[in-house]
This record gives sequence, C-alpha cells and structure tokens, in this order.
Amino acid sequence: MGPNGGGKSTLVRLLNGLLVPDSGEVAVAGHDPVTEPFEVRKRTGVLFQNPENGLVAPFVEDDVAFGLENLGVPREEMRRRVAEAIRSVGLSGYERREPHTLSGGEKQRVALAGLLAVEPEVLLLDEPTSMLDAPGRREVLRRIGGLRRSKTVLHVTHHLEELLEADRVLVINGGRLVAEVEPGRLMADAALLEENRLVPPTVPRLAADLGLGSCRTPEDLAGAVLRRVWEGSGAEIR
Amino acid sequence: MRISLEDVWHVYSPGTAFETVALRGVSLSVEPGEVLGIVGGTGSGKSTLAAHLNLLLRPTSGRVLVDGRDALALRKSELRRRVGLVFQFPEQALFAPSVEEDVAFAPRQMGLGPEAVEERTAAALGVLGIAHLARRPTRALSGGEQRRAAIAGTLAMRPQVLVLDEPTAGLDPFSRRELLGVVRRLREEGTSVVLVSHDLDEVAEVSDRLCVMEGGAVRAEGTPEEVFYGELALAPTTVRVAARVRESAPGLGRPVSYDETLRSLRALIGG
Ligand SMILES: Nc1ncnc2c1ncn2[C@@H]1O[C@H](COP(=O)(O)OP(=O)(O)OP(=O)(O)O)[C@@H](O)[C@H]1O
Ligand SMILES: Nc1ncnc2c1ncn2[C@@H]1O[C@H](COP(=O)(O)OP(=O)(O)OP(=O)(O)O)[C@@H](O)[C@H]1O
Ligand SMILES: [Mg+2]
Ligand SMILES: [Mg+2]
Repeated sequence: MGPNGGGKSTLVRLLNGLLVPDSGEVAVAGHDPVTEPFEVRKRTGVLFQNPENGLVAPFVEDDVAFGLENLGVPREEMRRRVAEAIRSVGLSGYERREPHTLSGGEKQRVALAGLLAVEPEVLLLDEPTSMLDAPGRREVLRRIGGLRRSKTVLHVTHHLEELLEADRVLVINGGRLVAEVEPGRLMADAALLEENRLVPPTVPRLAADLGLGSCRTPEDLAGAVLRRVWEGSGAEIR
Repeated sequence: MRISLEDVWHVYSPGTAFETVALRGVSLSVEPGEVLGIVGGTGSGKSTLAAHLNLLLRPTSGRVLVDGRDALALRKSELRRRVGLVFQFPEQALFAPSVEEDVAFAPRQMGLGPEAVEERTAAALGVLGIAHLARRPTRALSGGEQRRAAIAGTLAMRPQVLVLDEPTAGLDPFSRRELLGVVRRLREEGTSVVLVSHDLDEVAEVSDRLCVMEGGAVRAEGTPEEVFYGELALAPTTVRVAARVRESAPGLGRPVSYDETLRSLRALIGG
C-alpha cells in the first residue's frame, strides 16, 4: 500500500524484469529477473495495474490460454483449464469476444482468468480489483485467499479492507519502504495511516469515531451501538 | 444545462456474432447543478450510458436532448466542450507529450488566449494536486497520477456537465476524498457532475440522486436515501450499519453519508 506515485508498480515491474534496478539486487525464487528472465517468468504471473496492458490476443479465450501456451501445457488440458478459468470469473460465453470490446470490469476479469489458468508460484497483482463491482471483488479476494496457502501473493491495493487477511503489509511512500506491519496494527496506527494517505475501512473507522471497540462487519458494529444504547438507557443488556 | 435521455437503446456490433445490446430503453435526466451517481455491476452499461451524454456514442434508437433540443442538432465541438467526459481508462485520454500540454490542449482548442489557457491549466493542475508533474511526460506517470492528469484535462474546459467514469479507481484514499471534495465544489459553482462508479461508499458521499443500472436498463432511481434504504443489497457500508441499528431503534433516521451516519449514531448513543 501507499500513496499514488509511491513506487508500488515500479516494484512490481522490477520483480518481473520489466525494469532493471540501477543498483541493488532482485531475486524471485532465487533467480534474477534480468539475467534469468525465463526462470522468473515461468514461476510468476503478473496482473498489470491497467488490465488493458495485459490483454494481447485477438480473442478472450486465446488471451486466457496465453500463459499456458508459453508453458507448453498439452492441448486437451489447456482447453479444460482455460474453460474453467473463464467460468470461474463469470465470463462463460465471452470466449470469442475481442478483449478491446469488453467493459472495464470484464477486461480485469479476463486478465485475472489468464492468471488463474496458470496458477503460478508467485502472483504479482497490481490493483487487481480496481474496476470490479462488489461481488466481483469478493470473489477475487476469495480466490486469492485460497491460492495463498500454496503460493506467494504480492497484492497491491488502495483498499485496506482487502488486506485484512494478509501476513504482512508493506507501506511504500516516496520510493521507500516506510513500514512493514500486520494489517491489524496498521489499521490501529492513526499516525502511520495519516502519513501515508491511508484511511481505515468504514466499519472500524465508524467504530473508532464512536469510541466503540474493534468491529469488523456492519452487523458487529450495529450490535455494539445497540449495546451501548441499552446500557445508556439502563435497560436489560440482551 | 439539462441533458435527458429518452428511451435510449444501444447495440454494439449489430448484425454480427458479437452483437451486444448494452442499453435497453434508458430514460433519465441530468438536472442542472446536481450530482448524479450512476452505479451498477460489471457490464451493466454504465460506461455506454456515460458516452451517450456527449454523443461520443450515438443511440441506436431513442434520443438525447440538451435543454429540450435534440443533441444531434448541436455542433459536435460545442457539445463536447459543454459536456466533459473523463474515460474509465485514463491512458486513453492522455496524448500530448507533457502533462501541462495535455491539460492545456482543450482550452487552447476552444480559442482562448495564452493567458487564459495558462490560468486554466494551472488551476486544473492545482485542483488535482499535480502541479509538480506539469512538465512530466504523460507516459511517465503512475496509475493514480495518470487518472488525475486526465481529470485535470477535462476540468480545464470548465464544462457545464462533467461526466466522470470511475474517477477514483486507482486513487489513494486521501486523493479519493480530495476528488469528492472537488465534486462538491463544482456543484456549489453550478456544474452538474455525473459520477459513474461501482464503489457505493463513495457514491453515497456526494450524490444528490442515483441511478442504478442492471443489464442495460435502469433498475432503480431516486435519492440515495430512497434507493439504498429501498434495497439494502445495493447499500453502502454506512447504510448497512444504520439499517441494522434501525431494526431495534427505529428513531435513528435514514443517514447515508459517513458524517450523517456518525452524527445520528452519536446522537442515539448519547441520548
Ligand atoms: N516511465 C516513467 N518515467 C519516469 N518516472 C516514472 C515512470 N513511471 C513512473 N514514474 C514515477 O515513479 C514514481 C513511482 O511510480 P509508480 O508507478 O511505481 O507508483 P505507484 O506507487 O504504483 O502509484 P499509483 O498508486 O499511482 O499506481 C512516481 O513518482 C511516478 O511519477
Ligand atoms: N465496443 C463494444 N463492442 C461490443 N460490446 C461492447 C463494447 N463495449 C462494451 N460492450 C458490452 O456492453 C456491455 C456494457 O458495457 P459497459 O462498458 O457500458 O459496462 P459498464 O457498466 O461500464 O461495466 P464496468 O463496470 O465493467 O466498466 C458489456 O456487456 C460489454 O461487454
Ligand atoms: Mg501503480
Ligand atoms: Mg465501465
């Protein structure tokens, strides 16, 4: 996380070898993305911040198949995995559509399907939900949650609520790594949030502004509010 | 100015295997000086609708009216100037070599003198907080910087209606708030703003009226209060909290924005 222009996408591009560090070293699974690009690319999948930059093939199905083709996956298996990936992002029926004619969220889903078809060891996701509606966003987060048990996921986002389950949050500002914290600690650290132009999600923010303890869901918060009301009125606490 | 759509249909690639009916008889209006939020799921037709407001896309059938007159009768250049549209993908809008030149392009095109062009360019860059990027090549910006540059370019035209397609996607949280502040200021100055967004929380903050799209049609329309409390599945976080509290404390009222919600919950707890 971190403010616009902080260096998040630059970091992603360094990790996949699109950019070369002026000094210092980058290693992905022990390989240098610049001198061993093939070793790195076969293990990593990237979702670019602008999904249009990741869509290269004439039809949606070719685009989703692109990564698998590069890995030399047999045809039958490829067909099966492509169909499954397209289905899992809710785009069945879009196989023969041209990517440039899709809506913003549809483009982002296609890019994501390409990654899900491959299930690479390392996933570099640069704002993967920026164009998605709420159900799409939930579904992607669920998929990321499932993948992270066996994969390494780097998830760039401006929405702190998307990182509540992350192991660590790195805050990047002005090209520097300014903090490395657990998501819960970041959310509770008003100064750190403020310095980095971050805002906590609505529910914890409301809870804090109301002087109530930590709450995660709207239902939790409503319950905490009502308990406080009943205490105040001297009524039975249910 | 008032823009209205009357029974607008839009079909992409008609007669081909990819034929897509993106709008199915949409009727709505953008009233002078209001903020109209357009929400709806992926592929529901929001961007297609937005592009009809300045006739970047033409209706397959139906009409677009500007102050009661068929918009097709207006000069295209004039319509584009009065109705400023910022695309969902900002890269598509940036074409000049530098940010400054990009923002200055439209005012210059409008025939304004060098001083006025400079004044508007500086003002737009300032409002979007990117004065420090004026000389930067447009291809050398981060995602959020690109978004702000694209918005500045349209703002510099000083349109009567500003149409923003997912303007906060890719903005950091403070920038998101700042942009909503810009929208409020524009409304105070009499500019209408159409805010297309899939982010209900942010639409809830600034919209006077909402239009919910689904499958190319208007599924619901009204004030945020009517729409959100009418259908909680569509509601932002604040309303979901308040609606839940109202089940046991109906006196709460129907707050929508963050500040309203905080105020009414405080009042409830306090007394
Ligand atoms: N091609 C380029 N040439 C010169 N400067 C660049 C280039 N691309 C990015 N920058 C600058 O490098 C800095 C870091 O950019 P980067 O894209 O990594 O930011 P980011 O954290 O991803 O921001 P955002 O949240 O806006 O996407 C910014 O100041 C940006 O203006
Ligand atoms: N050029 C095109 N050719 C064919 N179909 C198109 C074209 N552009 C959009 N569509 C289709 O029209 C429908 C509406 O698209 P639109 O871009 O208006 O959706 P949207 O509500 O803006 O979605 P999102 O939130 O994903 O941006 C989608 O199903 C899309 O696939
Ligand atoms: Mg970025
Ligand atoms: Mg759109």
